[in-house]
Amino acid sequence: MKRRDLLALGVGLAGTAACGSKSGKMKIAVIPKGTTHEFWKSVHAGAVKASRELDVEIVWKGPLKEDDLKEQIGIVETFTSQGVSGIVLAPLNDKALVAPVKAAKSANIPTVVFDSALQGDEHVSFVATDNVAAGKLGGERLVKGLEGKGNVVLLRYLEGSASTSEREKGFLEAAKAASGIKIVSDNQYGGATTESASSAGEALLVAQGADKGEVAGVFCPNESTTFGMLLALEKLGLAGKVKLVGFDSSEKLVAGLRDGKIDALVLQNPMNMGYLAVKTMVSHLKKEPIEKVIDTGARVVEKSNMESAEIKDLLSPDLTPYLGQ
Amino acid sequence: MTEAKPTEAKATEASAMSSRLRRVLGEPWIGPLVALLVVYAMFAVVTPDTFLRGVALEMMARHTVVVAFCSVGMTLVIIQGGIDLSVGSVVALVTVVTASLLRSGYSPAVAALGAVLAGALCGALNGALVAGLKITPFIVTLGTMSALRGLAKGFAGEQKIDADAGALEKLMLRDPDSALPFPPGVFLAIVVALFGAALLAYSRFGRHIVATGSSPATARLCGISIPRVTIVTYTLAGLLAGIAGMMEFSTLTVGDPTDSIGLELEVIAAVVIGGGSLFGGQGSVAGSVLGAMLMTVIATGATHVGIANWIQEILTGAIIVVAVTVDRMRHR
Amino acid sequence: MTDPVEADGATHAPLLSVDRVAKSYGATAALKNATFTAIEGEVHAVMGENGAGKSTMLGILAGLVRSDHGTVTLGGVHYAPRSAADARKFGVAIVPQEPTLCDHLNVAENVTLGIEPVSSGFVRAEEAQRRCKAALAPLGVDIDPTRRASDLTPAERQLVCIGRALAQSKVRVLILDEPTSSLTMAEAERVLDAVRALADSGLCVLYVSHTLGEVVRVADAYTVLRNGETVRSGSMKGVEVADLTEMLLGHPAEARVRAPREKGERVLSVRELTGVKLPAGASFELHRGEIFGVFGLVGSGRTELVRAIYGLDRVVRGEVHIGSSASTRSTPAHRLHEGIGMVSEDRKGEGLALTMSVADNLTLSKLESISSGGIVSPNAQGTAARDLITRLQIRCAGPDAPVGSLSGGNQQKVAIGRLLHQNANVLLLDEPTRGIDIGSREQLYDLSIDLAAKQKAIVWISTQPAELLAVCDRIAVMRRGVLGAPRDVTDWSEQLLLQEAAA
Repeated sequence: MKRRDLLALGVGLAGTAACGSKSGKMKIAVIPKGTTHEFWKSVHAGAVKASRELDVEIVWKGPLKEDDLKEQIGIVETFTSQGVSGIVLAPLNDKALVAPVKAAKSANIPTVVFDSALQGDEHVSFVATDNVAAGKLGGERLVKGLEGKGNVVLLRYLEGSASTSEREKGFLEAAKAASGIKIVSDNQYGGATTESASSAGEALLVAQGADKGEVAGVFCPNESTTFGMLLALEKLGLAGKVKLVGFDSSEKLVAGLRDGKIDALVLQNPMNMGYLAVKTMVSHLKKEPIEKVIDTGARVVEKSNMESAEIKDLLSPDLTPYLGQ
Repeated sequence: MTEAKPTEAKATEASAMSSRLRRVLGEPWIGPLVALLVVYAMFAVVTPDTFLRGVALEMMARHTVVVAFCSVGMTLVIIQGGIDLSVGSVVALVTVVTASLLRSGYSPAVAALGAVLAGALCGALNGALVAGLKITPFIVTLGTMSALRGLAKGFAGEQKIDADAGALEKLMLRDPDSALPFPPGVFLAIVVALFGAALLAYSRFGRHIVATGSSPATARLCGISIPRVTIVTYTLAGLLAGIAGMMEFSTLTVGDPTDSIGLELEVIAAVVIGGGSLFGGQGSVAGSVLGAMLMTVIATGATHVGIANWIQEILTGAIIVVAVTVDRMRHR
Repeated sequence: MTDPVEADGATHAPLLSVDRVAKSYGATAALKNATFTAIEGEVHAVMGENGAGKSTMLGILAGLVRSDHGTVTLGGVHYAPRSAADARKFGVAIVPQEPTLCDHLNVAENVTLGIEPVSSGFVRAEEAQRRCKAALAPLGVDIDPTRRASDLTPAERQLVCIGRALAQSKVRVLILDEPTSSLTMAEAERVLDAVRALADSGLCVLYVSHTLGEVVRVADAYTVLRNGETVRSGSMKGVEVADLTEMLLGHPAEARVRAPREKGERVLSVRELTGVKLPAGASFELHRGEIFGVFGLVGSGRTELVRAIYGLDRVVRGEVHIGSSASTRSTPAHRLHEGIGMVSEDRKGEGLALTMSVADNLTLSKLESISSGGIVSPNAQGTAARDLITRLQIRCAGPDAPVGSLSGGNQQKVAIGRLLHQNANVLLLDEPTRGIDIGSREQLYDLSIDLAAKQKAIVWISTQPAELLAVCDRIAVMRRGVLGAPRDVTDWSEQLLLQEAAA
């Protein structure tokens, strides 16, 4: 272990003492689905931005293992028992988190749900991209890129993930609407990590005869599947030949877009999502009126528009002011 | 003489007390108990206003339940000289089975029975493969870990299964009006742990488990049927994983085929922290359950105090290695 | 005390001199006064019952234990090693009782382990083999350096361990801790020859053994320890086994009077019993009140015979009758039920579950008798165990002590005590006295004779002709899987037994 890491560990442990003090500020727990994906880092930055503007304290805590449903339930319960002012949550499952959110509500802790939907009516607001519409946007862009004909493949994300299955649904609607497009595979999952998505993607491409030119386009519903698929295409020497429309952004994906290896990316606005989610929570706590559903929007980015200032900010947001190094 | 006698008696009484004390201090679960109290006290000092609350205790007890059930079974298997890597997959499969049964309109009682049966069947499969094929348990359960995970996904149609949990939800949900401090699942876990400990300490079958793990050749010489002990032990472990899966479903309220990935490592860590030896013949149910509680306290404390995930992972890893080192030093 | 420096009439300056060395652990004195000297080129036997302080003294010499009092000089220089590595620097090496070899490596790799000859990072296999041969040369043995350790015979394993000790450092004093305890007589001979050759090449060998016959044969000088003190030390010239026994025990060995025993009904009959490899058609009959001895060299099938009878190994052909009913193929559980018990020759691996308690080991084969409804009663188990501990004079901290903490002799008593707990009528004892001290051995002889007098039937397997002649009523010799005709003990002598076994 490097010295700096050791130092960080020491600081982290020392931090335990500092956190014990009471600040009198509102304390809002922000619970993502995971902590390692780029997407969640942008959400984190947005949440930090809001906390600074509104002078509240936020605690950022996701499951140790990316997408660990039980642990996320445990985290919500832990914050409930600890007694925070409010919880901002991206639920890993639309049903399993209902009970913990309800328990928080009965302990007078309101919850704002973001990114993915939650069943029932226990939360105060839902801040998210309209995922079906965003998926549809991506599907339409792929159809346009293929000039309305060819075989396409969908690499799904994870069994039971609501937001991505809505995007997958939106994409399939758009693809089926185009008569010249044939969906040759729509039942394969990339799994939770880039690594699993890349191997699943490669296997899928080979199985569908992509190396023989039998696959014209691919759609992926989130960052890890898009990047995994990009790696798979590169490994097979098909990057740029098979049109890839993906979701979300990261440095690697932006580079892929610039090099023409990715045809287009559907971008959400994760930073705005984090920002709005915390802001909505604060408004609610201040008894101000809030919207029940807040759409944070989606945009299609391609090589031609990626240099515009507005898109640039979306593509590679500068997180350092909020998250440090 | 008449005066000397009481003093003598007192002296022997005192020495009997001290020898009893020494024996208690030599128990394998003392180490994890001390560690648990120390870690809990540390977090309690740092965040006294939240960590000491009844809600926090109730929640930590609840969060330990699934690992606790599995670790009772794993303790038996590890003492018997085996290991069960498939426990996470069994739990996931059982959540799926339970959800499917409920969705098909069966009553919660039938679903619960199905859950336990499914777990026991998985365990029996493990035991039969280990005993029948004479392949090391590590390999057999590595295989079933993957196969049962696949089965769970296939059975669930590759998605989470929604079902009305009905009465099963109550297992892990404390009734706020109840006088009891914990939901039923916690009490069930305590009862099962006591049962497991008694099985090991007092039953004939318990002796057979220890003997098989300590020295299979000796067990055979003493007329113990090793295949029988193996199959029954794994079946028991599977049954307990089945109950754990039912509790998991009660928490999740959905059947989730991707649930509990890596649970086996948590459970093995709990057993090892509790004084279990992966070479067999050694271990304690009380120690394992305390080990499970220790890990919950660390996870909860880390959230309360706001420690980053990566530090929490380093802490958990360090505790495992330190626990085993200290345990070994105590036995020297 | 005889003058130790005198040997062959010539006078040598002592190489190793131990003077009033003592060591205590808390209140217990493990060693009170160890005094002896040893010279170059001699085999010096170190003897003592378990608990006499042998291992403590060897530990002090090997640098594993530090003494409280007394002085040791080596080659005229004060010698107080701080660690095993330190001792090796002085030229003192110890070879432990159980051979520790890496089974997956070959002989040369084992001998040069840790000191592999390398050139630019690669092991030079041929150089390693040359060094291995050089290390084994003083032992007078020639073992192919490329053979895998797992293919070696027990004697060869022991020899390779000794060779490794010689190769690892420049050795002046070599300590061998019971090198023959797990070997048969023929194999032991090989090791003894090597030990003799080693001393003749100029080394000082400290030789620990419980087998007095081989000590008399190989040693030039001896030291006997009892209760932590040197009782006698001197030249081996003119010393007989009986003298050593008396020194070890502190009193003359009792001559066992053979009381005539009543031979009862037939309890076991074996006809043409044939296993997968061994035995190859062995037959005998056993009656109540009888001790039946089986003598045989290694590989003769004596262990396989009792294992097949007990249901541990597969029976291919032949018949076993228990009492009057035929019961050839069986399992240990079934045999236990029929009143048959077995003590394994492999005490640590099979005979006992070392991590379990004395009480558990004593009662494991019949927990039914101390439990009800599947629950073992700790009280009943404790009582049963304490009875056996008293009856067999097992020295241990109590019924709850782990059996692994007991000495070899006491462990063996536990293994035999189990057969008493299960109330076996037929006792199959496979090498019951292997590797245990004389005191325990004598107790086992007496116990067996007592059991026979109480109408139990015993099969006693041994590689020691003397002990068979001392305890058995009838003896048969096993050779290549076949059991020769049993003869009354009075018709046998050591000579006859060895002749028939080797014929």
